[in-house]
This record gives sequence, structure tokens and C-alpha cells, in this order.
Amino acid sequence: MRVCIVGSGMAGVGVAEELLKVAPTTEVFLFTSDREGYYSRPLLSHGFSRTDIETRIILKKFDSLQRPGLSCFSGCEVQSIEPKEQRIRFRQDGKTTEQSYDKLVLATGSEAAIPAAWNPYRAHFRVLNSLADLMELRRHRGEMMSRGSQVHWAVVGGGLIGCEVASDLVKAGDRVTLYHVVDRLMERQLSVEASARLLAHLREMGIEVRLNCEVSAFGTDEKRSWLEMAKERHEYDGVLVATGFRPRIELAKAAGLTTDRGIVTDAYLRTSDPHIYAVGDVAQVRGEALYAFVLPVRNQAVWLAKHLVGQVGEPWVPPVFKPMAKIHGFKMD
Amino acid sequence: MQSVYRKFVCVVCNHIYDEALGDPETGISPGTKWEDVPETWTCPDCGASKADFEEMK
Repeated sequence: MRVCIVGSGMAGVGVAEELLKVAPTTEVFLFTSDREGYYSRPLLSHGFSRTDIETRIILKKFDSLQRPGLSCFSGCEVQSIEPKEQRIRFRQDGKTTEQSYDKLVLATGSEAAIPAAWNPYRAHFRVLNSLADLMELRRHRGEMMSRGSQVHWAVVGGGLIGCEVASDLVKAGDRVTLYHVVDRLMERQLSVEASARLLAHLREMGIEVRLNCEVSAFGTDEKRSWLEMAKERHEYDGVLVATGFRPRIELAKAAGLTTDRGIVTDAYLRTSDPHIYAVGDVAQVRGEALYAFVLPVRNQAVWLAKHLVGQVGEPWVPPVFKPMAKIHGFKMD
Repeated sequence: MQSVYRKFVCVVCNHIYDEALGDPETGISPGTKWEDVPETWTCPDCGASKADFEEMK
């Protein structure tokens, strides 16, 4: 059986490696736009306080992931899926090639979701969604530090990632002002009581937290970055926006697969095409929920590999898990 | 001489659980054998499950 996988995050690589464990004769083709290697996305949130992050975050170079049965196509763009012909079309090194599959696994993950009103200012703030983003942020931080004073960041978004990154920047020695649009932090994951505890914890760490703040505009010049709120301008060395994630569904959508917020699947992670599956951040299971946390995504990957080779017939059941936030010194319960 | 303690690595983030050290921050005392770590324990760095660790050899 030939399985093509699009995406090299923990979902895509997880399916690839598990497939070869459970059925070593499977022929796996892994397609990714990444070039540096398979990296640990959860570690992005610790990308400032850990000085060894640049070497540590890469779990495997694509060369070392490659083995008999598993071919990696890195630095490539999958341009289209042709579901009827069961093949994909991809571009690598300026050349377009087709590849046929028996089963296709879409593990295209998610990117930073930016409120539409902020799109005109996209060049004036940064996001932290990929290793490339982290490298760029670290480069910028190094430049600011070389000027000699403490680096002051605005982090816009007091959800899970915003709080994680704010705590990490402070741990690394920077100063942070954290803006959030509603009246409490991490309102999706935490109770009112736990939000209050988190607020106290972040303030204790030295983070200036501003709640109920609607940012209206962003700007930059050679030296400073700023944001505007109620016609007032607040200046920083850098502005980082963390306002949620958006599954990458474009490829699936263009191929005519059913999509909603994510790629819609049934309880078997199967999309509206019987030969195509979706796994990880991008999969909207049973047309309902996205499971964008490490524990369920790993669980999906291991389950899907077994299911594809006929070793499990029962549907995927979400494991019991507690969302975890990597905020220095804070326990969620 | 070979150590009697084993090490396990998280496949998602390379965090290492060393039996000799345990993981005091999550309540696992030094010297705790891998089989005695609760099945509900998760990776302190990334939240992966205990099943997502592999023994380092």
C-alpha cells in the first residue's frame, strides 16, 4: 500500500513512523514545505528562555527521518489533489511532479489566525506559529538586545499561546505588556477562579497585564513598534500577536473535500473522500471538534496508522486529556 | 558498570524522563521506576502521554 502524507508536524510524522512500525512494507511518501527538519512545535513557546533551543527543537533532520519505506520530500509545495485519479501534484526545486496514492493523509496543521481588521497592519507585528517565526523573533530580539537596554514587548492576545510566550519572554529577561480583549485570561481553557490565579501569577512575574483592551492599529519605523488603542499610541521594541489558530484547509477545499473550520472527517478521521484522511490540528472530527493539543493529536496519529493498515476497526475515540499550558511556575489545577 | 536506572524520551519534544531523577515538579520522586509512573502522567514539557515515551538504549 502506498500512503502519501502532507505535512511534517507531529501528526504527519507520527502517522509515517507508526505506519512503518505496524506495517513495515507500507510505502510512505511525506511531503512538507519545511526544510530545516521535523521540529517540536510545542517547544516554540519556550523559544526564548532556552538558550539551546535552536539545536534542541529539531527532533530529526529529514535525512535521518528517511529510511527504507519512507521517502521525505522537503521544501516542497503540494499544489493540488486529484481525488478521482488518487494523485497529488507537488512542486519541488522548480519542478512539478505527480504522485499517486492508495491513501492520502492530510496533516497540514494550522497557522496564526489574525482578526480581519488587523490584516492591513500585518507587516507591523509578528506571530509565533512556526520555527521560521521563532528564528525571526530571536533575530529581532538579538538586535534589540544589542542596543543595550531591556527589550520591551507587547504581546497581544491573552489566550493560551499569548500567556505562554509572555511568561517565557519574561523568564528570558525581557519586559512584557500583555493585552487581552476580554476581562480574563485564557477564558477558553480556564474557570473564572483559575483565570484570576493566572492573572496574579503573571503580574507576580512582572508582566503588565491589560484586560478589556481593543487594539485598533499597529505600526513600525526603523527603531520602534507600536500599537494603538483608543487613539493612544503605545511603543515597544517588538509586537507579537497571538490571537488563535486557523487550520490550513485550502488544499482540501480546492480538491472539493468538505470543510468547515477544519477539514471535516467522520469518526474514522476519513474526509468526504473515502481515500483521504485528515489528522491533527486540521481535522474537524465528526464535523464537530478540533483536537489541537499534543496528547489527542499523538493519539490520532497512532490510531490512524493502525486503522490504515486494518489493525483497528473501531472509530477513533478522543482520549481523556487536560489542556496544558506551559506557563513558567503555573499549574492549571 | 551499567546504571540500573533507565531513561525514556518523549517522541514529541525529546524531554527525557530519567528514573534516577524522577520528576519532582510533577510529584514523581527520584528513583521512581518507569512502570510506577502513573499512566495519567504527561510530559512536563509538551503534555504528551506516558505512552508517547520510548526507552533510550
